[in-house]
Parts: sequence; structure tokens; C-alpha cells
Amino acid sequence: MSDYGATEDGTAAVRLEGISKRLGRTWALREISLEVERGTSLVIIGPNGAGKTTLLRVIATLLRPSAGAGEVLGLPLVRGADGIRRRLGLLSTRGHLYDDLTALENLRFAAWMAGLRARDERFRSILASVGLSSEGERRVREFSSGMRKRLVFGTLLTRRLEMVLLDEPYASLDGDGIRMVDGFVDEWKRAGRTVLLATHRRGLAVRAADRVVVLQSGRLLRYCRPSELDPADLDPSGDGGRAE
Amino acid sequence: MQLALRTWAILWKDILIELRTKQSFSAMIFFATLVLFLFGFAIGPDTATLSRLGSGLLWIAIAFTGMLSLGRTFQSEEVAGGLDGLRMYPGEVRSIYLGKLLANFTFLLVLEAFLVPVAVVLLQLEPWEHFPVFLGIMLLGTFGFSVIGTFYASLTQHLRARELMLPLLLFPALVPVFLGAVNAMSLALAGDPLGRIGGWIRLLISFDVIFFVVCVWIFPTVLEE
Repeated sequence: MSDYGATEDGTAAVRLEGISKRLGRTWALREISLEVERGTSLVIIGPNGAGKTTLLRVIATLLRPSAGAGEVLGLPLVRGADGIRRRLGLLSTRGHLYDDLTALENLRFAAWMAGLRARDERFRSILASVGLSSEGERRVREFSSGMRKRLVFGTLLTRRLEMVLLDEPYASLDGDGIRMVDGFVDEWKRAGRTVLLATHRRGLAVRAADRVVVLQSGRLLRYCRPSELDPADLDPSGDGGRAE
Repeated sequence: MQLALRTWAILWKDILIELRTKQSFSAMIFFATLVLFLFGFAIGPDTATLSRLGSGLLWIAIAFTGMLSLGRTFQSEEVAGGLDGLRMYPGEVRSIYLGKLLANFTFLLVLEAFLVPVAVVLLQLEPWEHFPVFLGIMLLGTFGFSVIGTFYASLTQHLRARELMLPLLLFPALVPVFLGAVNAMSLALAGDPLGRIGGWIRLLISFDVIFFVVCVWIFPTVLEE
């Protein structure tokens, strides 16, 4: 077990110590130890099945670690789950949208579920910021996968979050969408929020990173600055980047 | 306050989706009516037998059709991307159970509003003389059915054979509700000449209260990994 990214002044947004997670008969994560400083961005890269999504789901308190301990935003994993979820948002690969509700109704539902009451003007401004200003009254069933991804981003914007976890945020997005994601990551960092981003699109993601974690087969291979990455780290699957 | 808002959000969303999709509810009404017709055909035109068995047949039709509704309780969440999306929202997770319970209770009441008039005609029921008691029994029975049905739907949502497992697990647990509702309704329809209806209504109320408290209490454990 190694320690990565130890902060000395207790400002860690995430502190994991020897986290392992078993899913069925497979160890999806093995003894992951790392710290992420508040207000920074960490990009988790690795091929499919490396454990990126599992790591994000453990940090989001959706999965209990099989071994190890950790803190997120100063609260213990498992016991502090509700407090952590209150301050953290997760953009999962599928998102959470209802096909038979309109874009506005999906945002209203997300706000209500977070215990927030807001006027439609607020939701319309969120739709504008994700490039869906004219789509508010349309049902999500009629959306393309890129538009759905934009709307999932919108549901995150309904809340004030201290940390954002993005799982494959670039999937299904065109050039404008990719710039939108980068813009949000920059904005969140400027506002002092912590961003953790997992992707197999390594070339794209590293641009947004303060630190990079390389995962393979559930193990942490490397934790470093983007400039310190070995070209092989950018292609740990050995597929020459064809998967991108 | 937040619990109420989150409960309302789930209820509002489920009813809105049901109003827009419609096809499942129409199918449920059709199915329930069909079940009553089949009972009517099986028993024949014997009015006395139909009246004697009427409340039992009505509750069997409600149970079969309600099962279709309960099986779909968490389907919209699966389609939307899984229950994790709901779990990620901060706050009291019991609101998910309460919202789903109220949605199921509402769907069943609407179903019964269609079904009871059909039953009155086909099964020769005469609820009008003691209608407030009849209505009270319907509400208590339906609430008990929704309380435990919503809970078992959440328990079986991850099972591969959930369509089979839900009725297998649920029907035995519902015995007190059906026992109370069928007997109380039979007595109400007969005018309760011996004044025995109170015991069955107390059983229904006790079942509703105890299972509501227990299900609300342990639901967070069911929802977590």
C-alpha cells in the first residue's frame, strides 16, 4: 500500500487509506490510498474495467468499501454518507433522467429532491448554461444522447456543491459539449470546488487535471501531475489510443 | 419540511409519468374488469352465491391487478438510470418509500373507483346502504396493501425473477389485510346483524399502523447496498 498526494495541513477533500472493493468474485479496487486537495481537480484514467467508476461510487458513498477507510470532505465514508451526499454531486455515465418528463420538469424534480424550491426562471437559466435554452418544454424521450448528457449536467447545477464527481463526462458529446465540460470544470475550480473526473479518453481529460491517477485492474499505478505522465500512462491499455 | 418536499417530488413525478404514458393504467383497468367477468361466468347467474362471495372476489381482483401496479413501482427508476440516482440526492431516504407508497395508494384508489361499479353490477353487491363503512374498509384495505406491497417491491427490485418473487413473498404477508378487509366488507354488505364488524376493522387498523411504522423504519436498510 502506498500513500499518494498526502496533504499536510488537513485540507484534503478526499482521503482514502487502503480502500478495496470486491464486486462478486472480482476485486474491483485493491488497496487504494490517495488524498485530493480541496479546490483541485483529479483526473482518473485507465482502460475499461480499471475500477474508475467503482472508485467514484465508493467516494460518492454509493458503495461500501470491502476494506480500508476514508474521509470525504472531512466526513467518514459509510457513517457520514448523508452529510457527504449533501455536499457532493455525481454525474454518472447514464445520468438520472425521466424520459416522460420535460427538461424543465427534470430540473424541478432534481431541485425538489435536494430539498430546494426554485422558480422556473432559475431552471431556464440553467438550461441556457448547458446549451438547451429552447428545449425546456420538450420531453427527454426526444433528446439525443448528447442533449441528455447536457441536461444531466444541468441537474448538477441546481445545487451548490463542494465537490463534483464526473464519470465519463465527455461520452456522447460533440466539440461544443466537450468545451462546455471543460468550462464547467474550470469554473468549479475557480469557485474552490473539488472536481474528480474519470474517463478512458485520456488525451482530453488530462488538460483539465491538476493531478492524474492511473488505474489498472483496480490498482493505483501512478499518481502525479499531468506533465509527469509517461506516454505509456496515456495508453495503459496498449491499444494505441484507438479506443478513443 | 424537506421530507414532505421530497415525498411530494416522488409522488408528483410518478403520477405525471403515469398520466402521460396511460397505457399501463388502461391495461390494469381492463385486466381487473376481465377478472371480475371471469368470476361472474365461473359462478353463473346464482345471485345469492355471487352476493355471498362478492367481497372476496372483489379483493382478489384488486390483489391481482394491484400486483401489476406494484411490480412497476421502481421500474421508472430503472429506466431513468437506476436507484443510485435517487440515492445520491441528500436527505431522508424514507421519502422515497413514502412517495412511492402514496403513488401506489393513489393508483389503486383510482383503479377501485372504476372497479367497484363494475363489481356492483356483475357480483350483485349492494354497498349503498352502508356506504361510509364500505368506503372506510376499502381505504384501510388499500392502504395496508400499498404499505406492504411498496415495501416488498423495493425488496425484490434487484432480483432477476422479481415478477415471480413479488407475489410469492407478498401474498402470504397480506393475509391479515385480506382477512380483515373481506370479512369486514362481507359483514358491512350484510348489514352486520350481530355487530361483529368492529373486530375486523380493528385488525385492519392495527395491521396498517404496525406495518407502516415497521416499513418506514427499515426502508433505508433495504435501499442501501
